[in-house]
Amino acid sequence: MLAQNTGYCNAVTFRQHSTGLQPAGWPDPMESTTVKTQPQTQDDAAHPLAGRRMTGAESIIQVLADEGVDTIFGYSGGAILPTYDAVFRYNETHGTSAEEPMPLIVPANEQGAGFMAAGYARASGRVGVVMVTSGPGATNCVTPVRDSMADSTPLVVICGQVPTGSIGTDAFQEAPVSAVMGSVAKHVFLVTDPNRLEATMRTAFEIARTGRPGPVVIDVPKDVQNWEGAFRGDGYLPIPGYRRRVAEVESNAISDSKCEEFLSMLADSKRPLLYVGGGVVNGNASSALRSFALQFEIPVATTLMGLGSFDTKHPLAMHMLGMHGLASANYAVDDCDLLIAVGARFDDRVAGIPDQFAKRARRVLHLDIDASEIHKVKSADWHHVGLLPEVLDALVAYARRSGFSADFSAWHAEAAELKATYGLNYDRESPLIQPNYLIETMNAITRGEAIISTGVGQHQMWAAQYFDFREPRLWLTSGSMGTMGYGLPAAIGAQFARPDKLVIDVDGDASIRMNLGELETVTTYDLPIKIIVLNNFGDGMVMQWQRLFFKGRLSASDKSLRKKDFVRAAQADGFGYAKRLDDKNDVPGVLEEFLNHDGPAFLEAIIDPEAGVYPMVGPGLSYRDMVTGDFIPNRYDQEDRSEPDASELF
Amino acid sequence: MRHIISILLQNEAGALSRVSNLFSSRGYNIESLNVAPTADATVSRLTLVTTGSDEVIDQISKQLGKLVDVVDITDMTSADHVERELALFKLHLVDGKTRQLRKLLASSNARVLDDHEGHYTIELIGGSQEIDRFLDRIRRLSDLSTVVRSGAMAVARGAPVFARG
Repeated sequence: MLAQNTGYCNAVTFRQHSTGLQPAGWPDPMESTTVKTQPQTQDDAAHPLAGRRMTGAESIIQVLADEGVDTIFGYSGGAILPTYDAVFRYNETHGTSAEEPMPLIVPANEQGAGFMAAGYARASGRVGVVMVTSGPGATNCVTPVRDSMADSTPLVVICGQVPTGSIGTDAFQEAPVSAVMGSVAKHVFLVTDPNRLEATMRTAFEIARTGRPGPVVIDVPKDVQNWEGAFRGDGYLPIPGYRRRVAEVESNAISDSKCEEFLSMLADSKRPLLYVGGGVVNGNASSALRSFALQFEIPVATTLMGLGSFDTKHPLAMHMLGMHGLASANYAVDDCDLLIAVGARFDDRVAGIPDQFAKRARRVLHLDIDASEIHKVKSADWHHVGLLPEVLDALVAYARRSGFSADFSAWHAEAAELKATYGLNYDRESPLIQPNYLIETMNAITRGEAIISTGVGQHQMWAAQYFDFREPRLWLTSGSMGTMGYGLPAAIGAQFARPDKLVIDVDGDASIRMNLGELETVTTYDLPIKIIVLNNFGDGMVMQWQRLFFKGRLSASDKSLRKKDFVRAAQADGFGYAKRLDDKNDVPGVLEEFLNHDGPAFLEAIIDPEAGVYPMVGPGLSYRDMVTGDFIPNRYDQEDRSEPDASELF
Repeated sequence: MRHIISILLQNEAGALSRVSNLFSSRGYNIESLNVAPTADATVSRLTLVTTGSDEVIDQISKQLGKLVDVVDITDMTSADHVERELALFKLHLVDGKTRQLRKLLASSNARVLDDHEGHYTIELIGGSQEIDRFLDRIRRLSDLSTVVRSGAMAVARGAPVFARG
């Protein structure tokens, strides 16, 4: 049995909103006398605080409360102080000494706050909220904002800014946040008119969660936070173009004739394959996808970001495809005659050479919420842009109405044969701890039900390959940006979002160093997170590439002479459980103990430093050139293999 | 192929830079960019000239559609349209060449706005290629000291393509 995740410190046992009379220190709805000037729709009751005088800072917090925000991640500083004070007063007047309705979780570095919010958002499906100061506070968030854009994670990032009169003067802690974030976020607002602050806040949440989700940054000058005026309680900014385009996509139902086209292409196919990406997780389309796959009995291969969108233990599951995907999944892509891409984007880590990807597929079909992904990398023979659950459900309903049936049993047998022959394997006789063995053993304990976060590199790929994911929102990883240091803060955010879940950060010795300060954050909030560092004394994936493509010259990637004692570092940050695992025979027992520890736990596992991630499709190569290593058979072994051009690989 | 893309953009802080950032960060060309107010005070019109294959132009249009401030996008080149550009330029002529200049001006729509001791300021309104050709011809007379071009502007023939602006 796994330990129940209980025992947060008092500061973060929150979840209860008081609903009665408001104590002093926060605007009281009973005192509200100002008549609202905005017309209300019939079924929309006026906000209880409408008309009440508030500062800009108070209105920011009130909109957060109205949006149901129960956790803020952020770090204080001069230009955001008024809003930090408003959070304090809000929690003081709305909470109890034991429970705060909107706790502010403080990282070691603002990048940590950004990734905590991203982990929170991905684990919960809700918008993650970050609040930081101007200048360095905001620029430290650039990486998590870009990461969240690239992986379609909804965030609202509130940045303090120098007063409007000082903007552009190179003031203390000033940075051009609107310009910097404008290049990486889904949208940026610079609030210069305090009358628009409240509507801007609501609109930011709307933009973050609608369409293809993403991060929205709001830059709020200090004088706007200190401004006082009447709270309206409703209203959004006009963004007519965006709303029209989102509405067009959301209302774009698939027509009967298109359903008919789909069914005739499917009937024409002998070996259909679903290629499923993160869009299915982000679009809450997992259950629709499951019905779809089961209705038509189509095998499912998922991308790194799509892990969990389809139960990896299901007989139709082919698990992960791509650069480090399972050979069986990649061969299924090579063999399929109909490829159905759902919420996936033919990324270079999946389709290194787009023309060679699914080369035998006579047709490529593409379903997505983002029109710009259609034909971007690989042209689709048939596509539909719309909400994935609706589209998948409509196709299933149409097939049932029309009595469609197809027999793919021969293909199922082929897929089962691929899985049996070309599944994962590794050096099981090695005296050293193989990372594969470590994760396989953990997976036997967690059974595909734990939340797993990772850094970036070899450990990330081993975790992706060897863990099962029985449902969506269990897998938190930096897919597109590949940001080392993502795992630890993302795990923290996820534990706040899902206090009921076991959260494990599977990290690397190099990745965890990036945001190592957040170890202390784990113990500060007494989060029962399990952190396992796979230590191979260096940047393992970089070393793997250097061995393969740079004649083994380990330029700046070998860390075997470094002095870091991870166990003592964890102890210094207050971990009651901190151990080193370096004997293969101890693996099952120590993992059992580590995962069942009641409270924060840290485990450093010394793994085989030579272990490589296999299979591997070299950058810019096709699945035909996949290297499967010494323990997985390769069906193209006898043929000539192309070598990637070291000058062009990335 | 050359395309003229007309964009209605909300007048918000940073909106223009988000459009230009999109072009630079995704590696698209901007040959010219013209921005000016419209009849609606909340939106501006951008007229952007770019080149690319049909696939690239399709991506440009779709990526522009992901910018929150963008109200509407039309590829003017895909329909019948009128294109105009304004060019102002200065040149200095030594004696003996003014007759050739007069002859050149007479054969085009260009006109002299200012003539000060042989320093001529000339205006030409026309299609971008017409302006290119005129500049080539006038360069044979004299070096141009200043060239100011508005970038192409375009409007569809017949009914308006945008609901507003």
